[in-house]
Amino acid sequence: MSSNLRTYIARRLILLVPTLIGMTVLVFAITQLFDPIERAALYITEPRQARFVKEIIAKYGLDRPVYIQYFNWITQVIQGNLGWSQSLHMKVLDALVTRFPATAELAIYSTPLIILFGIYLGKLSAIKRNTVIDHASRVVAIIGWSLPSFWLGIVLLAIFYGGMGVFPPGRLSEWAEALVRSGEFKLYTGLYTIDALINLNFSVFLDAIYHLVLPVITLTTINVALIMRVMRSSMLEQLNKMYITAARARGLDEKTVIDRHATRNALIPVITLSGLLAAGMLSGVVITETVFEFKGVGYFAAHAATQLDIPAVLGFALFAGILFILANLIVDILYAYIDPRIRLG
Amino acid sequence: MSNKPLSLEEQLKVNDLTVRFYTYEGIVKAVEKASLKIRKGETLGIVGETGSGKSVTALTILALTPSPGRVEDGNILFRKRDSSVIDILRMNEHQLLQIRGKEISMIFQEPNAALDPVCKVGEQITEAILAHRLREMVEKSIEVIKKEKDNEYDLWTRLETWTYKEMLNNPSDVRLKIIQKIPIIRDITKRRLRQVIRQEIVELLKLMEIPDPGRVIDAYPHELSGGMQQRIVIAIALACSPLLLIADEPTTNLDVTVQAQILDLINRLKEKFGSSIIYITHDMGVVAEISDRVAVMYAGSVVEVAPVKELFRNPLHPYTKGLLESIPRPGSPLKSIPGTVPNLVDPPSGCRFHPRCAYMMNKCKEIMPRLVKVSEDHYVACLLYEGESDD
Repeated sequence: MSSNLRTYIARRLILLVPTLIGMTVLVFAITQLFDPIERAALYITEPRQARFVKEIIAKYGLDRPVYIQYFNWITQVIQGNLGWSQSLHMKVLDALVTRFPATAELAIYSTPLIILFGIYLGKLSAIKRNTVIDHASRVVAIIGWSLPSFWLGIVLLAIFYGGMGVFPPGRLSEWAEALVRSGEFKLYTGLYTIDALINLNFSVFLDAIYHLVLPVITLTTINVALIMRVMRSSMLEQLNKMYITAARARGLDEKTVIDRHATRNALIPVITLSGLLAAGMLSGVVITETVFEFKGVGYFAAHAATQLDIPAVLGFALFAGILFILANLIVDILYAYIDPRIRLG
Repeated sequence: MSNKPLSLEEQLKVNDLTVRFYTYEGIVKAVEKASLKIRKGETLGIVGETGSGKSVTALTILALTPSPGRVEDGNILFRKRDSSVIDILRMNEHQLLQIRGKEISMIFQEPNAALDPVCKVGEQITEAILAHRLREMVEKSIEVIKKEKDNEYDLWTRLETWTYKEMLNNPSDVRLKIIQKIPIIRDITKRRLRQVIRQEIVELLKLMEIPDPGRVIDAYPHELSGGMQQRIVIAIALACSPLLLIADEPTTNLDVTVQAQILDLINRLKEKFGSSIIYITHDMGVVAEISDRVAVMYAGSVVEVAPVKELFRNPLHPYTKGLLESIPRPGSPLKSIPGTVPNLVDPPSGCRFHPRCAYMMNKCKEIMPRLVKVSEDHYVACLLYEGESDD
């Protein structure tokens, strides 16, 4: 049985290679929309290289056939050279690396909340189908889903920060920011909450959490309906199946029937969605990051896009693509773990 | 016939059961005043076309009427192991858990659909055993420990024995609950119990004539053939030796050879366990082979009940006659009953069979016939025979 699972995972890993190649081809195809001078920016890694645009075009063959260009470009990408971002005045890779922790910190706290609340509410709704509880949770979830995130974010900020002076925007308070930038506080991951715990500095940890409250609430409120609706319909579908009646017929109590049988089967479609949600969160949430001054990847990408900073946008596209491919890989493995039928396929 | 008490040799009696489904298209009158009885140790075949209310009746006996169905009238009297008589339709959920799987259990039409696809078959059988035979299993575990360890009592053995004894005598003990929450300790203390249950399942699977039970226990349903899956479903149903087994077309979706094996198995298990069986099918051949008595259902009502030989020799109801004539025979042309099964949202008035009946009389449109006794153990619900009996 477990050897089945192992070959399945191995097969998925091998499939990763063509998927990644396909994704880079797509991203590369976008670059072909621009003329060689614009594309030359992809290869510039230092501001002073800008004077040698013509030489760069010649060197990297930006006027040569497409497949040679792709090969040249992918060689650079593999070496970690994603080009120079004019809008941020730094290497694109560096920009992604420095901006990612803020996004990751948001994602790490909001994604599990969205998934857990979504699953819980969806399950509750399905079990209490057509009761007040069902209608109420569905209405609340849909209202959340329909709220524009910039509006909800601003309203929350206005009420809590503006009105009561709590939960300020940004990632840290000034004193904590200063401490973090000083040499005493070691940055391991760039995620302040986790680094603070590693440094055993609980006041910085609490400060980071304090700043996370509003953006996490915003993201959770808006996205919970996504999971909830799929969970609800999936659960209803499972509850109508014969094996549920069979489980009841052998004298199992309702809790066992629902938790051990219906929920486990109902979770299968939710896993796919959760993987995509997590990848989406990790690749940046533009509006929430902007409203709460959480300068993460999304904020960076949006900023770059408005300034027509092509290398930055492409770098971001590559980054998001890789994230989604990895998320799909994890989803596939989880699938096989939860649904034994898949291992044979 | 309503509310007749259960005589001593009777296991179950369904009186005037009426089940309706409240759907958008209207009220489906799925079961209308259906009455049945099953004696101890006998096999009652229920035959009828699709939509005759066989399966709904069967599920209602377990108080598992599929939604949006509702029981409108009638009662289902059942004699429990301790000889007390209960009305299943008036039990609360907690009482029903003690009936389902323990006193009455069920096997299903599609074994593939009746097993949870993501749960190993061993786990699914374990559930049935844990639900009703936990005490017995715990006692066995204590026996095993005693035999194995004799007098040497190390700490673990003492903890194990204590846990099992607490489970028997004082299951709500806080200390026991704490122990069962700590992962490693829980696993160690439960290991013996798990082995005992596994042994029990292996024995059960051997009874089901499953080759290599040790492998099958750890298989997922999709890894087994249809016949094997049905044997597992039967094993789950018989795990707690129920008094009544309801088999809802258990062989319909199987190959003919497998079908014969399963029928044979059910017949032999019946002798071993002494359970009464309600065997639902639309196949007259299967009915002839397995039942002692047969009930014929049409459009939600029982139209004829008779011992199997009597029914085949002397069918009285026009529908039963039609059914028997429509069994294909080599050499003779295939006969069928004219017309189709009525739409149960708006069933025919009076006798529901009258639009298709060759012997239709005017009063058939108005009067719904009741089951009357025409000879010893032979009942029929047809106006042709009304007045022939004093019952």
